[in-house]
Amino acid sequence: MSMSLTVTNLVKKFGGLTATNDLSFEIEAGQSVGLIGPNGAGKTTVFSQIMGEHRQTSGSIKLGTEEITNLSTPLRIRRGVSRTYQVPRPFSDMTVAKNIRVGLMPDSVLGMILNSPNRDRELELALSVGFSEDDLERTPAELSMGDLRKLEMARTMATDPKVLLLDEVFAGLTVAEIAMISDLVQKMRNDGMTFLIVSHDLKALEPLVDTAIAINYGSMISQGSYADVIASDEVRVSYLGEV
Amino acid sequence: MGLRWYHFVAWAGFVGFMFLLPELVSKGTLRIIIFANFLAVFAISWDVLSGRTGYVSFGHPFLIGIGAYTTAILTKRFDFPLELSIPIAVGVTMIGGLIVVLPALRIKGSYFALITLAYMELIYQLVQVVRPDLTGGTRGMSGLPTLTRGAVNGYYMSLTLMVIVAFSVWLVMRTRIGTALSAIGMNEEAVKGSGLSVTRLKLFAFLLSAMIAGLGGAMYVHYLGSIAPRALFDINFVFTIIVAALIGGASTTIGPIIGAFFLTFLLEYLRPYLPGAERYFIYGGVALLLYMYQPKGIYEIISRGWIKVRARS
Repeated sequence: MSMSLTVTNLVKKFGGLTATNDLSFEIEAGQSVGLIGPNGAGKTTVFSQIMGEHRQTSGSIKLGTEEITNLSTPLRIRRGVSRTYQVPRPFSDMTVAKNIRVGLMPDSVLGMILNSPNRDRELELALSVGFSEDDLERTPAELSMGDLRKLEMARTMATDPKVLLLDEVFAGLTVAEIAMISDLVQKMRNDGMTFLIVSHDLKALEPLVDTAIAINYGSMISQGSYADVIASDEVRVSYLGEV
Repeated sequence: MGLRWYHFVAWAGFVGFMFLLPELVSKGTLRIIIFANFLAVFAISWDVLSGRTGYVSFGHPFLIGIGAYTTAILTKRFDFPLELSIPIAVGVTMIGGLIVVLPALRIKGSYFALITLAYMELIYQLVQVVRPDLTGGTRGMSGLPTLTRGAVNGYYMSLTLMVIVAFSVWLVMRTRIGTALSAIGMNEEAVKGSGLSVTRLKLFAFLLSAMIAGLGGAMYVHYLGSIAPRALFDINFVFTIIVAALIGGASTTIGPIIGAFFLTFLLEYLRPYLPGAERYFIYGGVALLLYMYQPKGIYEIISRGWIKVRARS
């Protein structure tokens, strides 16, 4: 089941700095949108507000028809929105299988104690992001950056998201790893997942998105088809450095 | 839980060996083991809270003291039977656990550690000045009812407590709750990002830790028959608990038991040669060396050895 994401008049102020300035956009269910902008434009802050990690100064966020603006991060995840991080955050002393297990856990102490781990689902998720069965017992210290991103994708997918926010998902990856992650995203798009993707790798981003949003200093500077956004004067000046 | 037959064989072997120990060792040694058993219970309790979640408490005697003082006051001043006073003490300690979890909802790291230290200091001062007619003030209380008499009975009582606590915690921590608590210690934000309420998980860890600390504290005071605030709320006692858990193997259940026995016997065997506080230099040195060599503790050294043996065979 797909879900839409609607952000309305979002404002985030850190003291005197306005990190998000009256930002509004809607991603329809099953659509994939690229969020681009120069470093410090406020892309990750938008992600953090959608996930509830940072509370907005004002504005609202809706998942489908439900207002999630005041929900905690775990509750938002349970409602169907999840994210990956620029710097992967694995559980360092746990195997790949256990890392994925955390994402699969029910949010109930009794449920955790009484029910056994679903090892088949752990394996299925690991295989779906390109791990082999032998990788399940490896620890994060033994994984490459690409593998760590795959692990983060698997743990995020374990929460069964309907809307997925990918933050710099291609950073530090080899060409082969970018192709692998791209294939995975394409497959999930075909399955109806809604995406908001931040990436500086525009070449890799382009085929994965239906439309794009460009922001700078927290404000939207362009929105529309990917080609139109990249071609707009504001984006060319502020992001691509062209005059 | 992933239980295997050899887990039960190992536990049965351990309990069987410990059960027969009074036939093999002197009563003096048994008394040392009684302290090791109680220390193991306190170290397991500390580990559930700090070893797993990474919220390092420097004030664990705050919780142990609540359990110990509650049952001591109830039995000594109000003539409560032990069967009633000990469960009440455990319940009151769990309420104390709620007080400890409050700062953990907002702060972590050294700030949390300092606040727990302040809790211990606070209760140390309070029991001496607030209602000394109940608490016994600076001198504490003596002549409390005891659960058992004699070294052998005391040994079996402490052993039963330690085994029940250790086995129960071991079972619980083998489930996904153990994985989730350890995950908090590794990356709390990522646990939130996995859709889990860390507040609920921390609450569970702190309450379980408080329950064990309260039970251990209450049983210990009724083993000794007395309670002395200076000994209970002593910084050396805090360090002994923490070092036992760390050098044994934090974030495991067996590690704190190994650490408690290792430390207790180390200190006792040094006593004839170094009767004074100098023993703590050796104890600190050994702990430091072990920790430098293997930060995951003695349990990890044994585990790796066992894996090598299995690989060869």
